[in-house]
Amino acid sequence: MATLTSATEASAAQVPAGDASQALASAPVGDGQSSDLPDFQSATYKDAYSRINAIVIEGEQEAHDNYIAIGTLIPDQAEELTRLARMELKHMKGFTACANNLGVTADMAFAKQFFAPLHNNFQAALAEGRVTTCLLIQAILIEAFAISAYHIYIPVADPFARKITEGVVKDEYTHLNYGQEWLKANLDAVREELEQANRENLPLVRRMLEQVAGDAAVLQMDKEDLMADFLSSYQEALTDIGFTGREIARMAAAALVG
Amino acid sequence: MFGLIGHSPSFEDARVKARSLGFEEYADGDLDMWCTAPPQLVEHVTVESPTGQQIRGAYIDSVFVPEMLRRFKTAKRKVLKAMELAQRSGIDITALGGFTSIIFEDMNLLREERVSAVSLDWQRFTTGNTHTAWVICQQVETNAPKVGIDLARARVAVVGASGDIGSAVCRWLQRRGVGELLLVARRPQPLIDLQQSLGSGRILSLEEALPEADVVVWVASLPQSLQIDTTTLRRPCLMIDGGYPKNLDAKAAAEGVHVLKGGIVEFWQDIGWQMMEVAEMERPQRQMFACFAEAMLLDFEQIHTNFSWGRNNITLEAMDRIGAASLRHGFRSLELDPARLGARATLAPA
Repeated sequence: MATLTSATEASAAQVPAGDASQALASAPVGDGQSSDLPDFQSATYKDAYSRINAIVIEGEQEAHDNYIAIGTLIPDQAEELTRLARMELKHMKGFTACANNLGVTADMAFAKQFFAPLHNNFQAALAEGRVTTCLLIQAILIEAFAISAYHIYIPVADPFARKITEGVVKDEYTHLNYGQEWLKANLDAVREELEQANRENLPLVRRMLEQVAGDAAVLQMDKEDLMADFLSSYQEALTDIGFTGREIARMAAAALVG
Repeated sequence: MFGLIGHSPSFEDARVKARSLGFEEYADGDLDMWCTAPPQLVEHVTVESPTGQQIRGAYIDSVFVPEMLRRFKTAKRKVLKAMELAQRSGIDITALGGFTSIIFEDMNLLREERVSAVSLDWQRFTTGNTHTAWVICQQVETNAPKVGIDLARARVAVVGASGDIGSAVCRWLQRRGVGELLLVARRPQPLIDLQQSLGSGRILSLEEALPEADVVVWVASLPQSLQIDTTTLRRPCLMIDGGYPKNLDAKAAAEGVHVLKGGIVEFWQDIGWQMMEVAEMERPQRQMFACFAEAMLLDFEQIHTNFSWGRNNITLEAMDRIGAASLRHGFRSLELDPARLGARATLAPA
């Protein structure tokens, strides 16, 4: 494809935005690492961090509880699930240390409220023995979101939290993978429930994200990046489970317009 | 397997396409929704060369539209995520089409090798510029005589001469022998370097070059504000519109001025893909950007490497090689329509 002699010459006649390509020419050329990190000690940062960090701690705690609970539905997997659950507790301790390191007290009341809709859906599914829905919520949605958020957080994290988060990300992949494998093996039987669970829970993820977009921005995490990255991870998981591109596009739309 | 990363020419086109494919939610979505949407592998195709060889390919829509150009982070993410999807889908060689290669180059995404968990393997991607440059040169050589221009004596202006494709076109035309090369680009130093490496060619401004040129090869996209005074152009004049997007038709339409869409090839038979219908081609089942065709050629030839990569690395040997492959596997460069020269481009009989 023809490149431009100079991007400022690109006018993109078809671009209503007019001098869009001129703007492109002045785009910051970065290496993916922001050279301008936030001021970790500022009151604004710590205030936002108290909620974001609480969500992460609560998320890891819920993950622990959820994996133990799923183990009661599939007893032959209980041992493996207990192992996963233990890792989540280790993560929780790591993130608690991150707050201590910055001298921040996590706003756990906020986090509990934040997770309530997903928590309630999970509990309802658990009570009815709907293991597919439980796995979708915990092992796919929450894990995919966590992985994306951690990836976006790492380049803008304080040095202490960066190290902790890098270690956590590696573990979370095994969790996402666990859910994928089970759903893949049982896809024919669970397809309908999975689609239904997607419809009910994916819009919640978007609403949750919107709720903390302002705090995330203070931490230099962009809402659009978070959502886009999450959808990529989610799409990848659904592909692996065995859905077609068309089915996935429809399922993902629930997050975008729901 | 080969891959093509493309995008719709406008947001409106993208929505129409989404509706026609049955994705109502996307068709109704606003630009913010489209910014967040991940890339989609929309279809697989099987392509057969006249040699009988068959290859499989995939079309990935980056879900980028030109309206997103001003959102740097979005544009950057769209390109990288589409490349990540291509790699994850096991595609051996993927061409970056439309604005994606421009974004890749202008935003220097080579530095962004790591996309979330995936490290991009540059060997799996090509800009397709070698084939595009070769096709443009073919278009000059084939069509100039048709409109009464003797290349051996003609002055050929290359607008965007110091760019990746422009410099390759200059080297090719110099080897072939033309009357004189007129070198035009915005930045002076790369032009001086090019002139030195060629050992010939005259550096001119666009305004100076146009009235002198028998042939104008455009490989820089035109500023929207650019006006071409067609009364000062030579007659006949052949213009090859090799930039993106292609918008020269409207700017240079005049009697005796023949405008041909540059860097476009036609395959020897229908391909049967759905996505190309939005790609601004007259015959979308056969015609495509030469850069896309390069990915197919590399797959046919089992050259699974980034054949076109970086800036100003295109050699004459590489152009010869991809050109031979292009002919062998059933591609032909778009030519002027002999019946309506200049008004409409199509394939001329061999």
